Amino acid sequence: MIIFQNVSKYYDFHTVLRNINISIQKGEMAFLTGPSGAGKSTLLKLMYMAEIPDEGNILIEDLDIGSMKMSQIPLLRRNIGVVFQDFKLIRNLNIFDNVALALRIRGVAEKETKALTSEALKKVNLRHLADSYPKSLSGGEQQRISIARAIVAEPLVLLADEPTGNLDPGTALDIIRLFRDLNSQGTTIMIATHNRELFRGTGKRVLKLDGGSLVGEELG
Amino acid sequence: MSYSFKVAFKSLYREKWINLLSIFTVGSSLLIITLTVFFLYNLELITGHLPERFSMMIYLKDNLAQEEVQNVLSTLRKRPDVAKLKYISKDEALKELKETLHDTNYILEGLDDNPLAASFEMRLKKDFVNAASAAKIAGEIKKMPGIDSVYYGEKIAEAINLLKRSVENISLIIFLTIALGVVFVTYSTVKILFYRRKEEIEILKLLGATGGFIRAPFLIEGGAIGLMGGVLGTIGAFAFYIAVTYRLSIVIPILKTLVFPPGLLIALPLTGIILGIIGSAIAIGRLRL
Ligand SMILES: Nc1ncnc2c1ncn2[C@@H]1O[C@H](COP(=O)(O)OP(=O)(O)OP(=O)(O)O)[C@@H](O)[C@H]1O
Ligand SMILES: [Mg+2]
Repeated sequence: MIIFQNVSKYYDFHTVLRNINISIQKGEMAFLTGPSGAGKSTLLKLMYMAEIPDEGNILIEDLDIGSMKMSQIPLLRRNIGVVFQDFKLIRNLNIFDNVALALRIRGVAEKETKALTSEALKKVNLRHLADSYPKSLSGGEQQRISIARAIVAEPLVLLADEPTGNLDPGTALDIIRLFRDLNSQGTTIMIATHNRELFRGTGKRVLKLDGGSLVGEELG
Repeated sequence: MSYSFKVAFKSLYREKWINLLSIFTVGSSLLIITLTVFFLYNLELITGHLPERFSMMIYLKDNLAQEEVQNVLSTLRKRPDVAKLKYISKDEALKELKETLHDTNYILEGLDDNPLAASFEMRLKKDFVNAASAAKIAGEIKKMPGIDSVYYGEKIAEAINLLKRSVENISLIIFLTIALGVVFVTYSTVKILFYRRKEEIEILKLLGATGGFIRAPFLIEGGAIGLMGGVLGTIGAFAFYIAVTYRLSIVIPILKTLVFPPGLLIALPLTGIILGIIGSAIAIGRLRL
């Protein structure tokens, strides 16, 4: 469940998000679209508290972000899997350890970590790169590693920021299929993208953001 | 936890030059502490026996009856500060004097009467060997019946005590100064490592890592630097000890009696670990999530 109530966000004197109201059910899958600079990434960042709203309220599952203590932030983030627009892989760790990190942070036993990590790498078709380091991977490969890391711990909520930006159309559709599988198992998912192909024919809600305001909604 | 160790050891290897530098710095600092401890330990062994040698001479009045001497003896025996008592009769005193004078004992010729007094040589218990208690004890004994005078080396009593105290103070100052230095070295090293991994730490935070999870590898790394510095210091100290006892003692034989405090083998690496962890804990400080 994701709820935004009259949320606004300013950077300096410039409004990035204006009076946003969103309600996404538990187990729902929705898209967020809009031109570059519309505020998609910022909206996602508010959900995992990389940014703090200047006005309004945000609820993620049962957690009220506004009244959350600093010490609860890790707990919130461990319930959310994020595919970052800029991947955010750790240079010093190989691909396996990058993905496994999400489990180690959660204190999952090492044996289980190995099994789940291999499985997640298999889902993005990159098990053969387990021992490589991020810098030797193509943009699309790095993106899929970032996806594997976001899903490996089976979070309640999955936020994906332009998750197919570096992928060819075929691979992009594979990833959407993967997300729909996860969604059918109960994961709440929000995908930010300006690629209309991704949501066409999905029948899911598509929220349209422009200039920091929600300007409409359609079904994909 | 095993993951934190893995990360720490990877970083130890990756940043080997900076780490090696601080291990050497910590090692040589701890070596200085060791040499101080080593020196003091041996000084303590030597001076530890000094108070036992400190004695007080109690001269009896002339011509005391056997019974009166017995009285003095039993009163002295009851004192809590007395370790040892030895009676020296008039005859023994004269014999000793003659031996001391040796070739020049013609001085004593023509003496019909033995002019020397009978005495007790009294050793004090260790804790009472200082100027204040010695003076108090001497005063009390002097007031006893049958006692003529009490003699003791005031200056010696004071010196023994002063030596012990100043040695303790100096070692404490050296230890604290160097410990502070070691903390500072690990602090700076871990601070640098921390900044080098700033990006990684930001990612860890976004993935939901707790402060403890992020901190642990740095604390382990700081502790490991301290530990290796400690081991290095121990090796250095032992090499120094071997050099002094086996080589230098040919020239200065007394050095052969030096003792290597066995506790150092554990204490030094342990000190390194503790100081290293303190330094890195200060370096990381409070994390903002
Ligand atoms: N840290 C920041 N400081 C100041 N302005 C910022 C900051 N982050 C984002 N902005 C501004 O906020 C606006 C929205 O940025 P955001 O990244 O949310 O857009 P977006 O919709 O994700 O764009 P894109 O599709 O290109 O990723 C932009 O105008 C951007 O310049
Ligand atoms: Mg963006």
